[in-house]
Amino acid sequence: MATTHMASAGARGTASSVTLEVRDIHKGFGGVPVLKGISLSLEPGTITALAGENGAGKSTLMKIASGQYKADSGVVLVGGTELPTGNTQAAARAGVAIVPQELASLPDMTVYENIFIGRELRGPLGLRRRDMIEEARKNLEEFDLSIDPTRRMGTLPVGIRQMIEIIKATNTGASAILLDEPSSAIAAREVARLVEVMRKLRDHGVALLFTTHKMSEMRQLADKVVVLRDGGLVLDSPMAEISDDDIVTAMIGRELEDMFPDVAEPTDEVVLEVNDLLVEDAHNTATVTVRRGEIVGLAGLVGAGRTELMEGVFGIRKTESGEVRVAGKKLRRNDPGASIVANVALVPEDRKGGGGVLSMDILDNATLPRIDQFNIAGWLRQRKRRSEISDVVKSVRLKSRGLGQEMGTLSGGNQQKVVFARWLVGDVDVLLLDEPTRGVDVGARSEIYRIIADLAAKGMAVLMASSDMPEILSLSHRALVMRDSSIVAELSREELRQEDAQDRIFRYASGLLEGSPTTTIEVQEETDR
Amino acid sequence: MSTDTAVERRRPFSAKWLQDMAIRYAMVLVLIVVIAFFAYRSARFATPDNVVTILIAAAPFALIALGQTLVILTGGIDLSVGSVIALSAMAGAYTAKAMPDQLWLALIVAIAIGALAGAINGLVVSVLDVPPFIATLGMLTLASGLAFVIGGGAPINGLPANFSQFANTQVLGLTIPVILMIIGIVGFGVMMRRTKFGMHVYAVGGNEQASRIAGIKTGRVKFLVYTISGALAGISGIMLASRTINGSPSLGVGYELDAIAAVVIGGASLMGGRGTIWGTALGLLMIQTLNNGLDILTVPSYWQDVVKGLLIVAAVSVDVWAAKRRE
Repeated sequence: MATTHMASAGARGTASSVTLEVRDIHKGFGGVPVLKGISLSLEPGTITALAGENGAGKSTLMKIASGQYKADSGVVLVGGTELPTGNTQAAARAGVAIVPQELASLPDMTVYENIFIGRELRGPLGLRRRDMIEEARKNLEEFDLSIDPTRRMGTLPVGIRQMIEIIKATNTGASAILLDEPSSAIAAREVARLVEVMRKLRDHGVALLFTTHKMSEMRQLADKVVVLRDGGLVLDSPMAEISDDDIVTAMIGRELEDMFPDVAEPTDEVVLEVNDLLVEDAHNTATVTVRRGEIVGLAGLVGAGRTELMEGVFGIRKTESGEVRVAGKKLRRNDPGASIVANVALVPEDRKGGGGVLSMDILDNATLPRIDQFNIAGWLRQRKRRSEISDVVKSVRLKSRGLGQEMGTLSGGNQQKVVFARWLVGDVDVLLLDEPTRGVDVGARSEIYRIIADLAAKGMAVLMASSDMPEILSLSHRALVMRDSSIVAELSREELRQEDAQDRIFRYASGLLEGSPTTTIEVQEETDR
Repeated sequence: MSTDTAVERRRPFSAKWLQDMAIRYAMVLVLIVVIAFFAYRSARFATPDNVVTILIAAAPFALIALGQTLVILTGGIDLSVGSVIALSAMAGAYTAKAMPDQLWLALIVAIAIGALAGAINGLVVSVLDVPPFIATLGMLTLASGLAFVIGGGAPINGLPANFSQFANTQVLGLTIPVILMIIGIVGFGVMMRRTKFGMHVYAVGGNEQASRIAGIKTGRVKFLVYTISGALAGISGIMLASRTINGSPSLGVGYELDAIAAVVIGGASLMGGRGTIWGTALGLLMIQTLNNGLDILTVPSYWQDVVKGLLIVAAVSVDVWAAKRRE
């Protein structure tokens, strides 16, 4: 059944020689352009890698191609026919399937029900469950998955569920399959199987597009690589004609120098000590020290445990052992209130909305964690609050209609400035930053860098997790690389200035360099053969 | 976002400004229209006596609606307040009958029982992480059952005559429940705007994770709002019992729905984080004005329900639409 579908999909593709094409796609969110005129085409029987930093616009592009988002302008064509924009049903009917980063499977239903949902086999007596089970078993076998189709989806590992999602996509006759970071959440062994499945689909004539952060996966799988940067397409080349370095350069190649302020020299006084901290659900402990005035970059791949470490240090994520000391004093574990009193501040990743309360105004947001400075026996001191907050928001150059403006109506960059501003009304010794510029437009970024440099110069110890390489390279005094919840490498300021710094960080992070605790994907592949 | 649009202020009295104001104060406009309509149709409606009637009818709802507003602002809901009214009324009546010489004890017992029921709700929600809908649904049934248990399945009659003093004593021409309502609305209104606790309630409902990062003890905030809601239901219960000098286990049945309706008509979001005491007071006034006006026009009570139902859906539709427009 699946074979015939795929064969017909292949045939449909060859008729126009391009399966899926997007032309001059523009898209913005709340006035911030995310995609600026992207054109690309997927040919049948090919795998295309879509690379780029976080926030480059990869997911947005996939969502437009599959009809989840409406493009501001530009068209999506399947087999030469234009799709109505922002219509998922039309896209699915035309044969475009997407396997999202966060799986949309129904964990409480069985595997076969998941495969057949929306196109159930029905007879005069209702659902033909036995036929569906049989059909599903054949599908699974075709991809070498020996799974009982009557098993509950939720009992399977994420990687297998993902493959079932892919099988479901091919079953609906998809001629183009878009995979958003298919390998980010799954174990190495499952990655190898995923690779098999993707190759099989390609051989059947399906056009595949996938996003990844891992160079090795691109090399292994892709026929073509497309790189997005800040919403523009900067590279579109056959994989064979391009080196890893070229791809990396294309991904990050931003004018680094004028974005970043000069950072002052740190002192020798150690302010933050994290000793063998074991965060809940992590496999390894982490040890970190940060000095007064120092900015320490924390690099690593998605899932390396950077956010978890930050949250563990601050106390909003449970830690199982180890200790955190601030200026020599031991911090009470699992108590964010105690951390704030000890002058530790956390600026969480903006995209999760962890930083601000969007329904409250700027004034309230800016005083939320330090409200004890602005009240007497529970009564807010409005005048003091207003005057101090208007000073600090001025110093971060916030653009707003006034302190009463609702947080949710600010742009991402300005929201982030408010979350920074809240810590400026009192002393902070340790500043934990998680992806400080994610979701922030380029203009506001350099201002946020300036704020960070200022804060460090005032004597804060800054620990900054970032997936943005230039941030790590140009803003930090030191960089730590995390993998599997432990620190696997440290690069000094001098090392960060060297040409190969980026490449080294990447290799440490992916486990290609130095005694790695986890098996790498390449090794896994070889042992499988 | 470009700087220009961000800094731009709307000029007063432009078409755009008027439109914004109309949306923001839609409920006030509707209320004015409703009042004008009833005043036009009946000479009896717009009299001081009738205003007092509306206020007296509103008072028991007002107290639980205030508590409900706090709970809904944290993203929860309290379905149990109607039953808690019955439970505390029965507990109060029982105490009054047992110790007729010390009526103040009845007052304290009723409020304490209400607060206890609320505290249990709060613990179940914040410590056991049970969804508020379920936790308070359980309390609704439990409290209602206990109310019947106290009276052995029957109302408690034969209370001392001065038991009615709680609800019927007049100060400056207003009865105590009305005065409590006014104090409650002003007090809670100020609390929500001007105190740390008020701010924390908004924060927890707006974004729980962000609140935790800001060091707020979110569990404690939740516990407190349910306890407050329960205590207010306790006050409401003893007032209702006092008004009729009688403890009935069916007092307050279904009141929770009118309280929730008042909060929602007042513009609060059931998702939490959005809403005001002022809005709830307006919603309450709206419902009571409608009830009263339709009564005066001798509209049958089932038609009154139809009107109320439409109003709730219309109010929330306008709110959702306005929220989309804001984006």
